Amino acid sequence: MAALIELQGITRDYGNFRALSDITLSIHPGVTGLLGPNGAGKTTLIRILLGLAKVTRGSGHVLGIPLGDQLPRVRSLVGFMPEDDCYLHGISGIETLQMAGRLSGIPSLEALRRGHEILDFCGAGQERYRPVETYSTGMRQKLRFAMAIVHDPQLLILDEPTTGLDPQEREAMLNRIRILWRDFGKSVLLCTHILPDVQAVCERVVILARGTVRVTGSLDELCRTSEPSLSVTVGGFMEPFAAELGRRGLEVELRDERHLRVSGGAEESGQAVWESAVSTGSVIRGIEPARNSLEQIFLEAVGEVRRADT
Amino acid sequence: MPIHDPGYRPWRGQSTSPGSRWLVVAHTGIQRAWRSSWLKRLLLLAWLPGASLGLLVFLYEQMQVQDDISARAIQGMVVNVLEVPESAREQFRDFGGVLARRELSPGEERHLFWSLLLLNLFRRSQPLILLQVVGLIAPPLISQDIRSRAFLLYFSRPLSPFQYILGKCSVVLFYSLLITLAPALLLFVAGVLLSPGFDVLAATWDLPLRILVAAAVITVPGTLLALTLSSLTTESRFAAAGWFAVWIFGWLLRATAGLFSAAGPDSLVWNLSLYHVTTDVAGRVLDPNFLAPGFGLQVVLLGVLCAVSLAVLYRRVCAPLQA
Repeated sequence: MAALIELQGITRDYGNFRALSDITLSIHPGVTGLLGPNGAGKTTLIRILLGLAKVTRGSGHVLGIPLGDQLPRVRSLVGFMPEDDCYLHGISGIETLQMAGRLSGIPSLEALRRGHEILDFCGAGQERYRPVETYSTGMRQKLRFAMAIVHDPQLLILDEPTTGLDPQEREAMLNRIRILWRDFGKSVLLCTHILPDVQAVCERVVILARGTVRVTGSLDELCRTSEPSLSVTVGGFMEPFAAELGRRGLEVELRDERHLRVSGGAEESGQAVWESAVSTGSVIRGIEPARNSLEQIFLEAVGEVRRADT
Repeated sequence: MPIHDPGYRPWRGQSTSPGSRWLVVAHTGIQRAWRSSWLKRLLLLAWLPGASLGLLVFLYEQMQVQDDISARAIQGMVVNVLEVPESAREQFRDFGGVLARRELSPGEERHLFWSLLLLNLFRRSQPLILLQVVGLIAPPLISQDIRSRAFLLYFSRPLSPFQYILGKCSVVLFYSLLITLAPALLLFVAGVLLSPGFDVLAATWDLPLRILVAAAVITVPGTLLALTLSSLTTESRFAAAGWFAVWIFGWLLRATAGLFSAAGPDSLVWNLSLYHVTTDVAGRVLDPNFLAPGFGLQVVLLGVLCAVSLAVLYRRVCAPLQA
């Protein structure tokens, strides 16, 4: 599958400060999470993709178009939802959306029709006729999302799309992202700090830290542990149970009062868990193949950089 | 498919021309400005001088048909209430002036009279209203976009900074030309329609072109300056204060220079008043005999003002993108 975004050795300096350092990555069709702590270079990377910032060094392609070339074409194929609150003072939501559509090349009347259609999709009601400056945070978030998709772009770059939304609205927003990819083939680059959002909708993930790519790959592969292990939920007598597993030559990692991870004996570990439970009188409440959490992957990726700094 | 499907639907239409996107910025700005009731009142006020000069055109053309004493009296009165430039005073020195004595051919006379009317429109009434209209609509145009971070909304789409500036300039120019170019051209058209025949066009063909250039002289430098001030702040009231300050201090400087007469009319100090410089150059454009001391310097100053304003404006508009 051809990459939507292909970057080779991208470096971006702001004076003496290096915001991005030798970024090489490929982003394929699908929903990709772009993660990183504050100052990791996510916003700079997005600006470069949109042609709003120039690269100091390196090259790349966005939707097959070389970076910095044919900017109007790139911007008509990409929908961008900024993290910052941005709106036009004094006009209503539907007028804002109509203007956004027209700026992207949709004829005036068609842009109005399309604006209503998109606001319906985003779950906006009669508030679309109110001036934007009177909107709540959630409604502004919806409007920004609507502006990003009004021109039916191939690629969506969403910067913190669920920030400030209540749980119900957050789930609705994630569902819209799923629909756009699953039913309409719109690729999404989801830039967020909210890791459960990434786990909920993304297939791949890119973790940036201090201007470099720390981790990139499929979420499924990244969450797979390096050696087969089991995640066990135990009811009562945790310590004798863990000690018994240790005696059987298995590696045991206590996660909390009820959970532990067992690795080592591969195929035998499952059998050993049950036998240990019987011998220590513990109750197994759950047993499943262990997976690395995204939080753990993220913290390890960012932690490496922090350790290197100290 | 249900009658009202709230699901997502792809869009497969024909895109508009990329070169026309600035019109969207202009259209949105014009619509937003039109919501101001003060702007509507000012526009109404702006058309009153044009309408009253239209009445003078009517009286003048009546006089051409009824060549009697009363018509000449009207003509003389008309000339006396208008501002007559230094260069034409010789011709208009007494009751009725040259118009009454018929020293000029009818064509030359009409050209002279219409020029005089247009000169009054461009030098006396319209600049003052223009000052207020631009002071009302231009300050929020860019400053509010900076404050509400609307730049991202514009520039993440197929719109260049140049098109953005062009769109914003068009908003100010639209209303500026509505109160300068439009009444002047209508005055000319009214004159032609009220005149005895269309042969008057042969004598006055140059006036529409002069009106166009004079309107550009009056509106373009002010538009660029007002938008530059708007781009320098996130508070539109500061931009508005700066706009009025430029005109008022320029005026005061000119008045002070005139009082002490230390500097001549072709000196720099004398020509720092934007009001006087633009109206003098516009006067010269409308009537080549109009005496505007320091005309060359004034043209250079307006050119420099436009170039500097445009450079600052472009830099300020691009600045948020490079941050």
